[in-house]
Amino acid sequence: MDEVLASVAETIKNFAVIYLMDITEVLDFNTMYELYDPSTVMFFFRNKHIMIDLGTGNNNKINWTLKDKQEFIDIVETVYRGARKGRGLVIAPKDYSTKYRY
Amino acid sequence: MATFADSFLADLDELSDNEADIIEENVPDAGNMEEDIDGDMADIEALNYDDLDSVSKLQKTQRYNDIMQKVEGALEKGSDRSDQVMVLEDDPEYQLIVDCNVLSVDIENEIVIIHNFIRDKYRLKFPELESLVHHPIDYARVVKKIGNEVDLTLVDLEGLLPSAIIMVISVTASTTSGKPLPEEVLQKTIDACDRALALDAAKKKVLDFVESRMGYIAPNLSAIVGSAVAAKLMGTAGGLSALAKMPACNVQLLGAKKKNLAGFSTATSQFRVGYIEQTEIFQTTPPSLRMRACRLLAAKSTLAARVDSTSGDPSGTAGRAFREEIRKKIEKWQEPPPAKQPKPLPVPDSEPKKKRGGRRLRKMKERYAVTDMRKLANRMLFGVPEESSLGDGLGEGYGMLGQAGSGKLRVSIGQSKLAAKVAKKFKEKPYGSSGATSGLTSSLAFTPVQGIELTNPQAHAHQLGSGTQSTYFSETGTFSKIKRP
Repeated sequence: MDEVLASVAETIKNFAVIYLMDITEVLDFNTMYELYDPSTVMFFFRNKHIMIDLGTGNNNKINWTLKDKQEFIDIVETVYRGARKGRGLVIAPKDYSTKYRY
Repeated sequence: MATFADSFLADLDELSDNEADIIEENVPDAGNMEEDIDGDMADIEALNYDDLDSVSKLQKTQRYNDIMQKVEGALEKGSDRSDQVMVLEDDPEYQLIVDCNVLSVDIENEIVIIHNFIRDKYRLKFPELESLVHHPIDYARVVKKIGNEVDLTLVDLEGLLPSAIIMVISVTASTTSGKPLPEEVLQKTIDACDRALALDAAKKKVLDFVESRMGYIAPNLSAIVGSAVAAKLMGTAGGLSALAKMPACNVQLLGAKKKNLAGFSTATSQFRVGYIEQTEIFQTTPPSLRMRACRLLAAKSTLAARVDSTSGDPSGTAGRAFREEIRKKIEKWQEPPPAKQPKPLPVPDSEPKKKRGGRRLRKMKERYAVTDMRKLANRMLFGVPEESSLGDGLGEGYGMLGQAGSGKLRVSIGQSKLAAKVAKKFKEKPYGSSGATSGLTSSLAFTPVQGIELTNPQAHAHQLGSGTQSTYFSETGTFSKIKRP
């Protein structure tokens, strides 16, 4: 996930900034945001947490590794558009409910 | 005019391309009428001739001989004037050079006249040669070599011409319609060839002389293109001031070879380059940049020629500066383009959408616009229940469509603009139907009123209408999607 974020950072720098946090070092937000997975991506706009309807059931965060750069850029753009309009919940362009193939 | 009539008759009789003959026969008339204008016209007037001397007078003139002598003398003397700073116009050598330029143009014209002479005489022997070999000097050489020979395998044209052209000449000679010449005519022709070659040699001498003095006459021009090319340019233009007066596009074309011979590919020929092609700068540029380089060279050399014609810079520094500039520009062209920077995405929704307008968009929108029928169907009258497709309020409601109090007398379906495209699609469907049909059906419809119609008007009704009929199991149904190549 880190590589995807690093490669995307320059492209979306006009409307999004990426911060990388180590949850083993900064433990203050672990309970608040329930940060337990190996990688979690959360979106904030003007100090407000923005929820995304990804179809997985958890609207607060992306807690799996997203491999595709373009998908990630799409999600960020959707979040930006919705947040600018004042929405607290945006609908992701792609549905991730079947992410785990049984 | 008698000659006009004669020439037209000749045209009809012989049915060969006699245009050149006609023109030449007309020109003597013109010459006769304009006798008083110029002594030079006497040359053209004498085209109804048999004698070479009446045509080519240049070699006999005093002026020609004087200049040739001086040139030879000066060539032997060598260049010893380079350090003398004298006003250019006073220098006797400068005058000689100016004369040389004029003479070289005259020699050129003379060669053309002699070429016409040779051509006319040799036409009886080998008419196709003139269209195969265009250059006058080459033509003269070939004529001299072939002489009165009928069998061209005995003639060795190697070195005179490119082998491809030699081949074509040999082939054409075997099927030529010409006959061998009588002895005196042949002798005159050979004389004329010799004359032409002598003039060509003289011209070369003159050019050599001018070239050796070029650094002194036109230092800036020769700094850019080199003295040989500069001499040629000056010679063709007819002098330094004439060259300076030309626009750069003409300078680019000075000395350009004209059309290719019949049948040979034009892919290899370079367009629109003249003597400039022989300059060192041009030869060292990569082929893709050659056209641009040629234009640049022509432009700068024209500027240099202008500087030289007013003797603005006798030391040649301006020419060298131009050359440096040209070199730098060509180098810059060959630089690779700057590396592509990855551009960050723009902020979403920050740029307003470019809304287009205009007639085209309006026409496009009209095709999907809400029709009057649909508008009526969307509305309802107050207190009046609307009709519906399945009756009793089931199915699609018709709104004010067909109601008594709707206020509209008639609702036309109107020209459905979308339907035009759809109808076209339907029209292309094949007439024949595969599947279970009766053997008596055909795509021709026999109506009592109109007789035989070629299109079956029922076919359309089936296709457009009943969406309720299943197309899967229908007897008249065909494949719904057939890809036609």
